[in-house]
Order: sequence, then structure tokens, then C-alpha cells
Amino acid sequence: MDWHILWQYRAALWDGLMTTVWISALAIVGSTVVGVVIGCLGSTPSFFLRRLTSVYTELLRNLPLLVKVFFFYFILSMPTIPAALLGLVLHQSAYIADVTGAGVRSVARGQLDAGLSLGHGYWQVFRYVILPQAVRIVIPPMTTQYVSVIKNSSIVALIAVQDLTYQTQEINVETFRGFEAATAATALYVVVALAVIGSMTLLQRRVLAR
Amino acid sequence: MTDLRSMVRSSRAKLLVWRIGCAIVLVLALRAVLGLDWSAVAPSWLFLLTGLGRSWLLAVVSIVAGGLAAAPLALARVYGPPGIRQAATALIECVRATPELMIVFWVYFTLPLVTGDQVTSWNAALGSLSVIAAVYLAEVFRAGLYSVPRGQSEASAATGLSGFATFLYVVLPQAVRNMVPALIAQLVGLFKTTSLVYAIGVMEFFRSITVTNNAVFAPYELYLVLALGYFVSCFAITRVVRWFDPKYQLLE
Repeated sequence: MDWHILWQYRAALWDGLMTTVWISALAIVGSTVVGVVIGCLGSTPSFFLRRLTSVYTELLRNLPLLVKVFFFYFILSMPTIPAALLGLVLHQSAYIADVTGAGVRSVARGQLDAGLSLGHGYWQVFRYVILPQAVRIVIPPMTTQYVSVIKNSSIVALIAVQDLTYQTQEINVETFRGFEAATAATALYVVVALAVIGSMTLLQRRVLAR
Repeated sequence: MTDLRSMVRSSRAKLLVWRIGCAIVLVLALRAVLGLDWSAVAPSWLFLLTGLGRSWLLAVVSIVAGGLAAAPLALARVYGPPGIRQAATALIECVRATPELMIVFWVYFTLPLVTGDQVTSWNAALGSLSVIAAVYLAEVFRAGLYSVPRGQSEASAATGLSGFATFLYVVLPQAVRNMVPALIAQLVGLFKTTSLVYAIGVMEFFRSITVTNNAVFAPYELYLVLALGYFVSCFAITRVVRWFDPKYQLLE
């Protein structure tokens, strides 16, 4: 074992880590926005909205992420980063839509009826009664989804985005020190995942405290 | 006029409108599909089907192997003595926090550096997918064990059954019943994960499509086959899960 190799390649590992972090961050923001909108539309009483959103989630959930990313990169000839981001957002937004829908539906039906009987419109009840309650329920499964985004972001290495996985492979090719590089990369992935889990736990505490 | 409007409001009429809409979209899609040039792709149908079969084989074999490894892991995490319990937890959580692609690379590129002998890409694929399946299934088993109400084991202890008998005759049968949908749902995730072993050169469905495309260059036709192959496979598994539990939420 030669752990000095990590110090020697610290710039490459750092660049890889930063690429992974910012791609994941953008993908998390994007898939949350798309997923929450789709999930909320899917939990409305409207029959057609429910059907359409379920087509969206079923279609995207049953295709591997690699298929989406390669489609945007090779078939539509998009540049690497937009292809990677679009793939990640489409993939995870389907799961986040399901999580959001489940959260909204788990708020007791009586809450909606009570709001409507007081004369509020559906969107008013949704905004002021259902959403605040759903947010608390949704945070833990959302954390799982965000960790998935970070893990899934490693797939972008296959279209030559220079993320952490890509740099690990580069170090392996250049120096045959794959073990040290893979250990470091795995540890860094675990650290990033733990950071997300930690901040989501803090967020949940703040939401619950209110 | 009011009759018509109340009719459209009724759920059966809506369903009819939805089905007609779906039928129109399907017919249009079918026309577009038939309009593509399939002559280049058609001769490779057996090759592509073999690739899809290999993906299925990878998923099924590794979920069985992973299940066998997951049982002791889950038992260690739930019932293990203090030291072993933490070790099992740490192992499961660390592997779960590692990207699947990294695990594939670990097994194929990195472990041979340590052990000294090269593994074939097929064995590496089976090994890495089994490891992935093992940690996720361990969590499914754990959730299944926890899903049995505590009162059940307390009641059986009160009737004089030993700890092991309680587990075997009271907790386990109920846990297994509760975790069947989640077990099958893991197969959906694993089937999609099989596309990652493309990276180490296994000729599964994804690679067989890209290889064919390199030879004949028919990206749209082949991508359609690719999407259809994965969608139909995963959707079929999803239907099986729904058959066991209509309300089951498939989240990865």
C-alpha cells in the first residue's frame, strides 16, 4: 500500500469531489422542484392529472438512469454536463414525485374535507393545511432520495464527466494504485452522504420544532 | 347539455376518455415506430434477446445470492450481541452509502489488486450485484422483522415458548409475509442496476445494444428497443408486486 499517492493526486481527487458535489446539488434542487410539482399535481382530485403524472413516474422509474444519460449524450448529442444533469433530474424527480404524493395523501382526508367545508378553495386548503403537514412526513424519505442522487451521480463518469468516480479510475490507470484511490473515493462518498443526512436531520428538527 | 356534462364528470366516462386518449397515442406511436427503418436492426434480434436474457440472469442470480447473504446480516443487525450488531450495521450502511458503480469497480478493478488474481467481468458483475442486493435485502429483512408487533413475541414468551421458538414460529412467518412485496420490489432496482456492469464489459442488454449500434448505426431504433426492453421487464415485476399488495409504494 502506498497512501502517499492520495496526497500526490489530491488536486484530482478534490476536483472530482467538487464536481460530484455541485452536480449532485444541482440535480437535487432540480429533481426536488420537478418532483414536488408533479407529486402535488398527482395528488389533486383531478382524474386526468393523476393519470398523466402516474404515466410520468411509471415511465421514468422503469428505465435505468444509464439509459437516460446515454440517450441525452449519444442520441441527442448534448454536452456532457447538461446530459448528466437532465438524466439525473428526470430519474430522481419520478421518485420524489412518488414520495411527495405519498406524503400528501398520508395527511388525513378529513383535513381536506374540513378545509373545503369552511369555504376555502382546493389550492388554499392545499397550501395552508395539507402542505405544512406533508412537509414533516416527507423529509425522511426525501433524505433517502438525496443520498440516491449523490450515489447515482457516479454514473456520469461513464460519459467522461470528471467526477470522483472518474478521477478514481484515472488514478488507477496512471499508477495502478486503484485500492488507495477507491478507498479514498468511497470514504468521500460516505462523507458527502453523511453530510446530507446530517443537514436533513437538522432541517427536520427545525420543522418539527415549529 | 347538462346531461353530457354530468356524464363526463362521472368517473366511468372519464376512464373511457382516458382510454380513448391512450389508444390514440399508442396508435400514433405505433405508426411512428413502423415508419422507422428496421432493416438494419432486425437481423440482430437474437443477439439483443440474449443480452436481455443475460440481464435477467444477472438480476435473478444475484438477488438469490444476495438474499442468502442478507439473512445473517439482518439477523446480526437485529438480534446480534453488542459488538457484532454494530459491525453489521456499519457494514450495511457503508455499502449502502457507496455508489453502485463504485462497488462494481471495487469488485472488478480493485479487489484483484489486493488478492492478486484477476476475476472475469461476468464473475465481477455477479459478485458486485450480489453485494448490492445483500445490503439492500438485509434492510428489507430488518424492516420485515420490525413490522411484527412487539406484542406477538411478548405473547408467545408468555405462553412459555423459548426465544428461538418464538422467532421461528411466531415472528418469522409473519415477517416473511410482510416483506414479500418489498423483496420483489428490490428486483426492479437490481434489474436497472444490471445496466451498470456495462462499464466492465459484460455483454448484458445495455452493452449488446451499444455494440449493435456501433456495428449498424441505427440509434433511434435501437434506443427504442432498449427502452422497451427495460420498461417491459421492470413494469412486469412491478405488476407482480402490485398483485401481492395493491397499495405498495415502490421507492427504489
